[in-house]
Amino acid sequence: MPRGWWLRQRHYFLYIVREFTALPLALWLLWLLFEIHRAAGGPKHFYASGSLAFIAFSVICLGFALYHSYTFLSLAGVIINIKVAGKPVPSRIIVLSQFAAWFAASILIAAVLIGFAR
Amino acid sequence: MNHDTEHVQKPAVAHLIWWFLFAQGGVIAAILLPVHILVQGILGPLGIVHVVDRNFDTWANVVGNPIVKLYLLVLIALPFFHFAHRLRYLLVDLGLPAARSLPAQVIFYGAAIVVTLVTIWILLTTVPISFG
Repeated sequence: MPRGWWLRQRHYFLYIVREFTALPLALWLLWLLFEIHRAAGGPKHFYASGSLAFIAFSVICLGFALYHSYTFLSLAGVIINIKVAGKPVPSRIIVLSQFAAWFAASILIAAVLIGFAR
Repeated sequence: MNHDTEHVQKPAVAHLIWWFLFAQGGVIAAILLPVHILVQGILGPLGIVHVVDRNFDTWANVVGNPIVKLYLLVLIALPFFHFAHRLRYLLVDLGLPAARSLPAQVIFYGAAIVVTLVTIWILLTTVPISFG
């Protein structure tokens, strides 16, 4: 395939963006690992990330994370086949249940992250 | 004939494991990650809400909980098996067929295994397990 083939069509470009989401998400998780490790130094050495650069990095990562969630959870309707009482569950219902699970998990995690703070 | 039968019956266990890790890593990243980035990466640092990781006492208290440690292991380690697969094929798509080779597989999935081991080590050594 010629170089830059993925720049020729919007569909190809979005496919490459979808695959690329892995990189910023991996970097953000490595940051989270670092944030956990920083607690090892005790209260005197601990500091929380708060620079503008870090916030900007997170904003970019959030954009890619939302795109990953949207594309990956939408795929569930194609991949998952469940039968209830002998009838296949419509893919629209499966996709909706995935998005509902995403929403519920997000509320729960936000409640823990904010609720246990002081 | 016997040889053929054996071949057919042999399950592709390795393939199944990698595929399972790829799919589960994708689900974990899709369902759990955006809210962590939003709350810990944006709302907390901006001071819009109080977040558990902004203060040593609350962060150490949460990270010491064994259920949280297990959750963090799943949250951090599993997506890397998904990322490894995606980035390897991204390189193939962008014109690097060598990313299909066995050494490339060892590097990419090996990196995911290394991240898993480092995560386990950090979770076990950072804050002692406590139920408080």
